[in-house]
Amino acid sequence: MALRTEELMLNMGPQHPSTHGVLRLIVTLDGENIVDVQPDIGYLHSSVEKMMEHRTYVQNVALVDRGLDYLIALNNEEAYCLAVERLAGIRPPDRARYIRVLFCELNRIASHLVWLGTWAIDLGATTVFLWCFREREAILDLFERVTGGRLHHVYFRIGGVYADLPEGWSEQCGAFLDAFLPRVDEYEALLTENPIFLARVKGIGRIGRADAIAMGASGPVARASGIAYDVRKAAPYEVYDAMEFDVPVLEDGDCFARYLVRLAEMRQSVRIIRQVLRALPGGEIRTRVPMTMKAPRGEAFVQTESPRGDLGVHIVSDGGETPYRVKVRAPSFSNLYALTEMMRGWKIADVIAILGSIDIVLSDVDR
Amino acid sequence: MPLVTRVTRAVTALATGLALTFRVMVRRKVTVQYPLEHVDVSNRFHGLLALPIDPATGKDLCIICFQCERICPDRCIHIEAEGKGKERVLTRFDIEMDKCCYCGYCVEVCPTEAIVFVPHYEASTYSRDRLLYDLDDLHAAAPKEPVARGIVGGMVR
Repeated sequence: MALRTEELMLNMGPQHPSTHGVLRLIVTLDGENIVDVQPDIGYLHSSVEKMMEHRTYVQNVALVDRGLDYLIALNNEEAYCLAVERLAGIRPPDRARYIRVLFCELNRIASHLVWLGTWAIDLGATTVFLWCFREREAILDLFERVTGGRLHHVYFRIGGVYADLPEGWSEQCGAFLDAFLPRVDEYEALLTENPIFLARVKGIGRIGRADAIAMGASGPVARASGIAYDVRKAAPYEVYDAMEFDVPVLEDGDCFARYLVRLAEMRQSVRIIRQVLRALPGGEIRTRVPMTMKAPRGEAFVQTESPRGDLGVHIVSDGGETPYRVKVRAPSFSNLYALTEMMRGWKIADVIAILGSIDIVLSDVDR
Repeated sequence: MPLVTRVTRAVTALATGLALTFRVMVRRKVTVQYPLEHVDVSNRFHGLLALPIDPATGKDLCIICFQCERICPDRCIHIEAEGKGKERVLTRFDIEMDKCCYCGYCVEVCPTEAIVFVPHYEASTYSRDRLLYDLDDLHAAAPKEPVARGIVGGMVR
C-alpha cells in the first residue's frame, strides 16, 4: 500500500533573520522541493507616501531618507530632489551635481557591501561579512565628515547640496578608493572560486530574460539576466552622461551572476568617483530656494538608478507648500515580485540563497 | 566531475582562503572596543542639540523667531516667550529628543546660531520622560568653551 503524501505549507518569517527585515514567505513544499512561494508583505508599512502629503517639500527630504530604503538614504534624496527640481524648474549648480553623483556612487558601494556581507553570512561565510562591514565603516566615516550623519544624512537640498566638502576630504576619499579595490579582490578570493559557495549559488534561482522583463525586475537582478538596462546610461540624469563607465551585463540569470554583477558595479562606481574627484568644478553648491518653497501646479516623474534598481518618484503638485501626491516606484518591490519565478522547482535549502541574492530592503518594499 | 578534480579544487580553495585569512590576521586591527574606547566624531556630526548662552550678555542667543519650530519635520520643538520688544524672554524651549530625527533643519534656519549640534551621541536613558529636554537641559548641554559648530546657518565652520 502506497503512503499518502501531500504538500506542506511552511511559513518562513516574519521574524526569520534571513529575510532581512519583516517578510513572510509562504512556501509550499513537496518533500523538500519548492512548489510555490508567495511573499506576504506589509509588516513594515509606514505610509510614507501619505505622510509626505502633510509635510512641505523641504521637510520631505528628511523623510525619504528613512521612509524608503534606509540603506541608500542619499540615492533616495537624489530621486526626490530631482523630482521636485524638475517640477519647479530649478537647476542646481554644476558643483552640486558632481557632488551628488559622488555621494550616490559612494552610497551604492556601501549598499552593495551590506548586501554582500549579509548574503555571505546567510550562506555561512562569516569572514566576508566582517570584512565588508569594515570597508563600509570607512565609507560611513567619509559621509560623516561631510554630512554629519552616518546613515541618514539630509544632505541633498532642493537646488543643490547643504555643505561643501571639507579640507582634505577628497584626498581621504581617494585614499579609500585606492585601498578599496584590492579589498574587493580579497572578497573574490574568498568566494568566487570557493567550491562550497559555488555549490550554493551557481545555477541556482535562474530567471530568464523574458521572465525578468515580465516581472518588472530592474537593477542588478535584471542585468544578471541579460537585460542591458541602466537608467544612468539609458536616460542620464545629473552628470552621468559626462562619466565613462561600463554597465556589467551577464546572461546566466542565476544567483552567481547577480553576485558577479554587483561586484563589477562596485568597481565601476569606484571608476565614476575617481572621475568626479578629478573633474569636480568650483563655484556655488546651492541655488537659493526658500525653505517654504511652493511648487507650481503640475506633475513630474523622474527615474534614477538606485543600487537595487530603477527608483522612480512621481510628484503631483496643486501649487501649495506640500505635495498633493507622491508615488514612489520602489525597486525592491518589483524585484521581490520576481522571487516566485526564481524559486519554483528548487530545494528548501536554496530559499535563503535566492532570497538574499535579489537584495531587497523591506522598508522599500512596504514603504 | 571526477573525484580527483574535486579534491584538488577543494584543497586549493581551502589553501587560498586560509592564506588570505592569515595575511589579514597580522594587519592592524580596526575594531574599537566601544564602551572602553570612544571614536572621535567629525565636527559636523549631528549629535544632541544645545542652546549656548551668549558669553557677551549672559543671555540666550535666541531671538524667538519660531523658525526652528516651524521647519521641524517632526514638530518636536516647542517655544513660548513673554514680554514685548527688548524685554522679550524665553519661558519655554522644549525639544522632544525622542521624536527628533537629527535632520539639522533647525540648526540650518536659525539666524543667530542659537541652536547648535554638539558632538555627543550617548543619549539613551531608561525612561522616556528624560528625553524631553527643557531650557535648562539645553543650556547644560551646551559646551562651555567655543567648539566647532559644524554646519551653522548654511555656512560651514
